[in-house]
Amino acid sequence: MSNRRSRQSSSAPRISDDQMTDLVNKLRLLLPEICERRRSDKVSASKVLQETCNYIRKLHREVDNLSDRLSQLLDSVDEDSQEAAVIRSLLM
Amino acid sequence: MQPTSTMNEEFLKKWQMGLQMFRPSIDNASVSERKRAIKLSADVAMASLRKGTTCWSRALIQKTATEDNFLVRQMLSGIKEETLINKKLPKVMCHRKIVRRSKKILMRRKSRSAMEEVAAKAKKLVKRKTQGLRNVVPGGEFMSNNVLLIQETLDYIVSLQTQVNVMRSIVDAAEAGIER
Repeated sequence: MSNRRSRQSSSAPRISDDQMTDLVNKLRLLLPEICERRRSDKVSASKVLQETCNYIRKLHREVDNLSDRLSQLLDSVDEDSQEAAVIRSLLM
Repeated sequence: MQPTSTMNEEFLKKWQMGLQMFRPSIDNASVSERKRAIKLSADVAMASLRKGTTCWSRALIQKTATEDNFLVRQMLSGIKEETLINKKLPKVMCHRKIVRRSKKILMRRKSRSAMEEVAAKAKKLVKRKTQGLRNVVPGGEFMSNNVLLIQETLDYIVSLQTQVNVMRSIVDAAEAGIER
């Protein structure tokens, strides 16, 4: 973010090819779509990075959605009811 | 490298602890306040699994602390991560060996002018994508070293998967319990 940093890094590529390949392969193993689709060894690094970004955003949305559902559940349930007790035992 | 059942259990315990702290306000709060409490507790629980050993978890704890300092302190009290709230994020690491090796490669490539353009374009594309990654991983803006960035990303993804799996199980179970 600082000017000094960006000048430093733009003067040379930051990682070796071997390291990048190794890490990119590890990412591939984590990403569900890429695991299924690609059979060849050569997958472009930029594609994997893009898929990783998309996957992380998807996980964020899912957490958000689950938090929504849970808070709605707590809201829709009467405080003294049996259902409330069920939720409380799960959560608290 | 998959979420383990130990991670699931630990996350659930910590998340429950966080929710218990919110308990008084959860009962009387609005839906959006409840959601915020649920989400913040889940994030702190996920980050604390790493016990301060990763950059993303420290960044996430710091970020959550700015939104709800009390909650974070309560959830982490008694653990040394409490000190993480005030700890500075790590300085950018730039492994000298990697830079030296990269410079050698770059010097060699400069003599092959035909391939140079292709390589440059590929590098630009990768650079743009890694920048995108920095935007989604907590603390990413402090990781100018790509190796560190991807290592952190790998760990972050596994932790997120844990968070999602446990939350999904709880919500499904709760919804099923209510419908009966």
